[in-house]
Amino acid sequence: MLVTRGGRLLTAAAVDTQPVADASPASPHVVEVDALKKYFEIGRGLFRKSVSLKAVDLVTLAISRGETLAVVGESGSGKTTLGRTIIRLLEPTDGKLLYDGQDITHKSDKELMWLRRKAQMIPQDPYSSVNPAFPVYRILDEPLIIHKEGDRAQRQEAVMKALQSVKLNPPEFFANKYPHMLSGGQRQRVAIARALMLNPEFILADEPVSMLDASVRISILRLLRQIQLKFGIAFLYITHDLATAKHFSDRIGIMYAGRLVEEGPVRGVLGEPLHPYTQALMSAIPDPDPANRLTVRQALPGEPPSLISPPTGCHFHPRCPIARIGLCDVQDPEMRELRPGHRVACHLAN
Amino acid sequence: MPVLDIKNLVLWYRTRKGPVHAVDDISFALEPGQTIALVGESGSGKTSTANAILRLLPKNVLRYEGNVVFDGQDVMEFDTEEFRKVVRWRGISMVFQGAMNSLNPTIRVGGQVAEPLMVHYDVDRDEAADQAIEALGKVGLSADTARRFPFELSGGMKQRVVIAMALILKPKVVILDEPTSALDVMTQTNIINLLKELKNTEHLSYIFITHDLGLASELADLVGIVYAGQLVEVGPAEGVFVKPKHPYTGKLLASVPRLRSEAAPDFIPGAPPDLTDPPPGCRFHLRCPVSFEKCGWSAPEFIEQVRLLQILEETKGTVPAIEAMTAKGAQNLLIKPVANGTVAEFAQRLTSFIAQNQETYRFLKSVESVQAKAKVVEVKLHESTPPPLIGGDWRASCWLLAGAGS
Repeated sequence: MLVTRGGRLLTAAAVDTQPVADASPASPHVVEVDALKKYFEIGRGLFRKSVSLKAVDLVTLAISRGETLAVVGESGSGKTTLGRTIIRLLEPTDGKLLYDGQDITHKSDKELMWLRRKAQMIPQDPYSSVNPAFPVYRILDEPLIIHKEGDRAQRQEAVMKALQSVKLNPPEFFANKYPHMLSGGQRQRVAIARALMLNPEFILADEPVSMLDASVRISILRLLRQIQLKFGIAFLYITHDLATAKHFSDRIGIMYAGRLVEEGPVRGVLGEPLHPYTQALMSAIPDPDPANRLTVRQALPGEPPSLISPPTGCHFHPRCPIARIGLCDVQDPEMRELRPGHRVACHLAN
Repeated sequence: MPVLDIKNLVLWYRTRKGPVHAVDDISFALEPGQTIALVGESGSGKTSTANAILRLLPKNVLRYEGNVVFDGQDVMEFDTEEFRKVVRWRGISMVFQGAMNSLNPTIRVGGQVAEPLMVHYDVDRDEAADQAIEALGKVGLSADTARRFPFELSGGMKQRVVIAMALILKPKVVILDEPTSALDVMTQTNIINLLKELKNTEHLSYIFITHDLGLASELADLVGIVYAGQLVEVGPAEGVFVKPKHPYTGKLLASVPRLRSEAAPDFIPGAPPDLTDPPPGCRFHLRCPVSFEKCGWSAPEFIEQVRLLQILEETKGTVPAIEAMTAKGAQNLLIKPVANGTVAEFAQRLTSFIAQNQETYRFLKSVESVQAKAKVVEVKLHESTPPPLIGGDWRASCWLLAGAGS
């Protein structure tokens, strides 16, 4: 019996449930998304027609094995919906979604049992995402029981290993604690350990530190980075915080009003931002500097648009400082690769 | 003359676990037009300081004392009615954290902005409505906003309404408690720009409460770093942000992920202390990277640290084997060795272990003497007192600062 990586047990049962495509890991990408749309039908009543809210609109991206892609956007930009659609907690409205090269766009829950093992999630709120009635041990044991992994002794070993990999030492001490006995940072470590139990290839981390105290955030993000490197897990890190995305990711995607407007390596996107929205977002964030108070910071006028009736053409054009009328308000900008691996959806960027 | 001079402010709460030292001897002064940012982790006492200044106290107050000198008058002497009439909202007003979500959903915005006028000044309705529209204008909202309900407004607009409410009685000091914490970055920038503008046009002094050092630097002339109910450093922004004096300020600045620097952010180990039982000596000593002999290790803390060390060093087998440890008062503890060899030998092993490892495990520095007794070893720790807050216009409390005494 083997115990590997995050503490997962390799059993015969585990091998049986591998997807067919996994036999030939040809694709360098864990996740591939092509022109993905997720629309929500809302407001349907007896005498009222429904309208669609375009939460994710024509997003194309790929996440390679073992890398972290940060998706950054303001609230309502569709970043959380994108994440939840990618791990198929939501079914796409249109477009194509590949996992390990295998099409999972419209597969049923039953057909996706193998994905539930390979793709895990670290939720935002460590106060509500762990069962308060279970001790830590049971919280971590649960996924193994559900997926019928190993016997009692093997599962115990796996739980202890997982606790060690999230630095809850000594593991025996934390295994018997209930969530209310732990701090926010420790709870989030438990949620991370739970995500590791089934030895995933891909983890969706949706604002994993926004509920935590500033001094604890960095230690959790560092832990995620260590786990990524040690176990070769790919991460989709969803956040509104461009500064943490800079320090804890390999690539960054910027979302605005349901669309991906720019995507590329961290150095490229933040060193030479090509989209006017990315530029505005960067200038809105202050680093600690006493000179800040002497100047007025550049900020965009207005608010992000409604996703029910987004502007025509480029969704950003009504707030864009360089928008060209007759072009930007008419034509949807295509995603163009202007630098190696660095794409932008703007008519005027070059 | 300072518009607000706070001296030795204390606010303790009574709880089942014991007294919570939320504000424990805080002093600072604010000149007219000046802004002080109070920065600290959650639970450090920032909001309690604001509540203590505005005398917004819950029922379970255990101690509430010190001087709050506003405009030359010690308002702590005022009775409730006088305080309400002269100070609260007229002299010092506040934008509460998350207040934009506490607007009354059934009352039009204008009515909510005008309410303090009618309550405090007995202004008639028409006059109050005019002034409400004027206040809304100051924060960049059009007159017809007054007729809207809160649900019709965006987050940024609601926050502007809340700021208009704080300005309606033309106060001299406005306390801003995390005024942008629920807003998106772009909206946050717009609100901060508005606050910068109002500061000049309305001649306001701000007390800006935040956990975000980047945001603090947008408004702060003075910075006060709050840790465990106390100010550990307070001084001009040009000093504190650039060359912090207190190790905690340094660690806090290093923990900020920066957009314009490649320096990797660092975290502060451990968690802020429990305010029902603040650590002796310097309250930061447990997490401090440069703590030494006199920073304030107590015997119970020492025992806890030894247990932690045993876990960390377990595999190396270098820690002298200990059977039991008991604290004897605050500064002494008894260690019973595992029975192999004499007590004197154990004491020797312990002494050399301390000498070798005290740079890695700084709490070991607090050992003053190790003495072998009949069956146990007695360890005596250095006496500790809290470091004084010293340094004129730029004060900090740390034993490592020149002049703190040794």
